[in-house]
Amino acid sequence: MEGWSFLLPILLFVLCAGLLAVGLLTVGTLVGPKKQGAVKEMPYESGMDPIHDTRRRFDVRFHLVAVAFLLFDVELLFLYPWAVASRNPDGLQYVATSDPAGFNRLLVFGEVLAFITLLALGLVYAWRKGVFRWR
Amino acid sequence: MIPPRELIEPLVKIALLIGGLMTAAAYFVLLERRMAAWVQDRVGPNRVGIPLTKIRLFGLGQPMADGVKFICKEEYTPSHVDKRLYILAPISILIAALAVFAVIPFGSVLPPVPGLDSPIRLIVAPGIDVGMIYVFALSSIAVYGVVLGGWASNNKYSFLGGLRSSAQLIAYELPMGLGLLGVTLAAGSLDLEVIIREQAKSGVWFAFAQPLGFIVFVVAAFAEAARLPFDLPECEQELVGGYHTEYSGIKLLLFLVAEFLHMITASFLIVILFMGGWHLWGVTGSDDNVTWLGAALRVAILSGKIVLVILFFMLTRWSWPRFRFDQLMALAWKIMLPLGLANLVVVAILYELRVMVDPDMNSRLWDIGMMAVTWATCFFGWVAVASSGTLVTDNTPRRNLQAFDIDSQL
Repeated sequence: MEGWSFLLPILLFVLCAGLLAVGLLTVGTLVGPKKQGAVKEMPYESGMDPIHDTRRRFDVRFHLVAVAFLLFDVELLFLYPWAVASRNPDGLQYVATSDPAGFNRLLVFGEVLAFITLLALGLVYAWRKGVFRWR
Repeated sequence: MIPPRELIEPLVKIALLIGGLMTAAAYFVLLERRMAAWVQDRVGPNRVGIPLTKIRLFGLGQPMADGVKFICKEEYTPSHVDKRLYILAPISILIAALAVFAVIPFGSVLPPVPGLDSPIRLIVAPGIDVGMIYVFALSSIAVYGVVLGGWASNNKYSFLGGLRSSAQLIAYELPMGLGLLGVTLAAGSLDLEVIIREQAKSGVWFAFAQPLGFIVFVVAAFAEAARLPFDLPECEQELVGGYHTEYSGIKLLLFLVAEFLHMITASFLIVILFMGGWHLWGVTGSDDNVTWLGAALRVAILSGKIVLVILFFMLTRWSWPRFRFDQLMALAWKIMLPLGLANLVVVAILYELRVMVDPDMNSRLWDIGMMAVTWATCFFGWVAVASSGTLVTDNTPRRNLQAFDIDSQL
């Protein structure tokens, strides 16, 4: 693959999907009937008159879960490169011998295990703090 | 002037894929309704056949009638919504749901065609090394669609549905990622084609090699596709329509199609990552030298597996009651995440040991030994889950429990 040309199909796909969505919307706008009405303009809340605006404060636990997700997701992202590299054929040939490269490999593996342990500790901490408690 | 192959080939594949996927989504709706009818012992939609005749064709005309109906509905935007976001939400969710298929193979490879310098691979964008990362990125954009739809609608049902969905979708992305990490370790790549090829080469599907990772991934995929028992974003009995309560006409159609596409994507991922993709022992072979028959056979086997997984999705829908929201979050964070971590650690240690002792990766004894250990991990994980926090995993209705009992277990 030379340059960025291998990304062209993805770009085309996004473009086609967008065209499909916008095209369908346009067709719907052209074909469908148009009518307005005061009751039709109301939010649908099972026939009740809406009491106040929707965008008020909401439960802080959603925010806590979002923060926890960000932490764990970013930590997982760090693990993907290691998972791919650890099976790379170029790296495997060093392992059988006892030269420093094999030792380095062990070191990296130990680091990853320590990293996963930290991840687990973080999970236990958030758990004990009641982040995942929804009552 | 003839456009270059780099332009024609993807465009043809994209046209095939989008056409196939939209048709498949429409007909899976019909299949789901017939299946629901079958489970509930009623007839279901069997009337619509060929128009202007009396031929019914088992209701095969129903999806087309539905489509025409959707198009003829009024394209309505209520005045209380945030107009730009309200229109952007269904468009973005459909684009994300479709564009995922750029890196998902729908077959293996075609035999060499005279006049072309390289064989045609049955994937829109071949050779994307970060394929799975791309899939995860786009499934995160689907969360935006849901949140935007819920927020822009300015309706309490939509808002609650949007909030719940976002929390659910992001929570289950973690176990999904952990299940994927085990596969990445085993295959050494994030490219979906390479992952299939590794399974075909060794003949051991990753579902057998890593049962715990498979279970975690399947549960997370159900939650990501918002299918029962995890369909809290749109539970009809509580939130009317969830985040798309205020939508109608084509915009609603875009949301519904995107939802079915999510289910199809989830089936593709389950089949490709864990069930060998197009590979079947003794039938398909495992390398790129195929005849036309072999290529067609691989596409057929892949589609067959995907239909089986989708049928499983649909049967599940009518077999389990919905989880409560607290159970849903507890299941994600307290059960699936630790189980996924356990699977990852066991698989990582096993592969590291194997690399040291058996660097060529061709000893059958090691294959069997690793499978024994991973199946034991799966068993102990199940025992640990079953013996602790039963209220988290058991969603059967109970009336005799006090709030205190539930609190003490969650």
